[in-house]
Amino acid sequence: MLLRGLTWLVLFQLLGTALNVLFVPMLPGPIIGMLLLFGFLLVRGEVGQPISEAAAGLLRYLPLLLIPPAVGIIVYAEQIAADFWALAGALGLSLLISVVFAGWLMQKLIERQARREERS
Amino acid sequence: MSLDWHAAAQAVVHHPLFGVGITLAVYQLSLVLYERTRWVLLQPVLVSMALLIGILLVAGLTYEEYRQSTFLLSVLLGPATVALAVPLFLNLRRIRQLFWPVLITLIIAGAFATVLGVALAWAFGAERMMLLTLAPKSVTSPIAMLVAEQIGGVAALAAVFVLITGVLGAICGPELLRRVGVRHPAAQGMALGITAHAVGTARALQDSEESGAFAALAMSLMGMLTAVILPLVVVLLV
Repeated sequence: MLLRGLTWLVLFQLLGTALNVLFVPMLPGPIIGMLLLFGFLLVRGEVGQPISEAAAGLLRYLPLLLIPPAVGIIVYAEQIAADFWALAGALGLSLLISVVFAGWLMQKLIERQARREERS
Repeated sequence: MSLDWHAAAQAVVHHPLFGVGITLAVYQLSLVLYERTRWVLLQPVLVSMALLIGILLVAGLTYEEYRQSTFLLSVLLGPATVALAVPLFLNLRRIRQLFWPVLITLIIAGAFATVLGVALAWAFGAERMMLLTLAPKSVTSPIAMLVAEQIGGVAALAAVFVLITGVLGAICGPELLRRVGVRHPAAQGMALGITAHAVGTARALQDSEESGAFAALAMSLMGMLTAVILPLVVVLLV
């Protein structure tokens, strides 16, 4: 079951890679594969056992898969040091402002929808 | 009899499985550390990264060699990205009644978070490559790394920015939202999911099931939208 799901996932990614080369060079192959799988699930209306098993298995170890690329940061130590304060400031400030903005906006929209439903 | 310790050490260190071995070991160690302490700052990926950098420096391995010997792990990143469609689909089905508030918040606040980060870094004088790397900071790491590389940034750096953003969001986000009067669990979840992706979602789940569900939805939609829109925007603008 796990292998069957994995085969599907790899198939979708390879399909994405082909489409990436043929039509949409600005979208990475795995992203196109994700969109294709999402479309496929929408059409089917449910997640089959093999795919859900393989996806759960892979996503469980996602952090582990991310470690090797993250270690690549050592190659860029100098550039980070050069821009350190600009980066830290931009990351921190933009995060704080956008958390508040997103929460506030969502709450306003929920309230508005609730008011509309009361009226109708 | 004199044993050739040096040759043995060299053989182990340069074995094609050495990278996978130390990565697996260090990751499990970091997981245990995180579970024991439950300290948000000790994100397993962050801790593993620091430990592995130390090991590489001590063992005298280049990053290039380490990368080649972890191919077994990194080749799975593609199928894992494809697999993200599954939680997105499941979350979307769960939340139907708030469809429009979710979509509008996602587009406006998501674009705002991305633009603000890049604009601030630009104003503070960061380089162009750094700006492109910073752009996908609010989305989950596999997507951010793919997108950063695609638009001319650096995948490794993107992973670190994503992590810092997530940890910071999980630490300050809930308190900040309460202070400004955002009390609806769906709104809190959306805010954390849009800005602080997986780490924010884990934090939202601690607060309530509803908040966590919205955070997971926001995270996956934000990832997908960023993956599709950001490369297009960059192609048009740059």
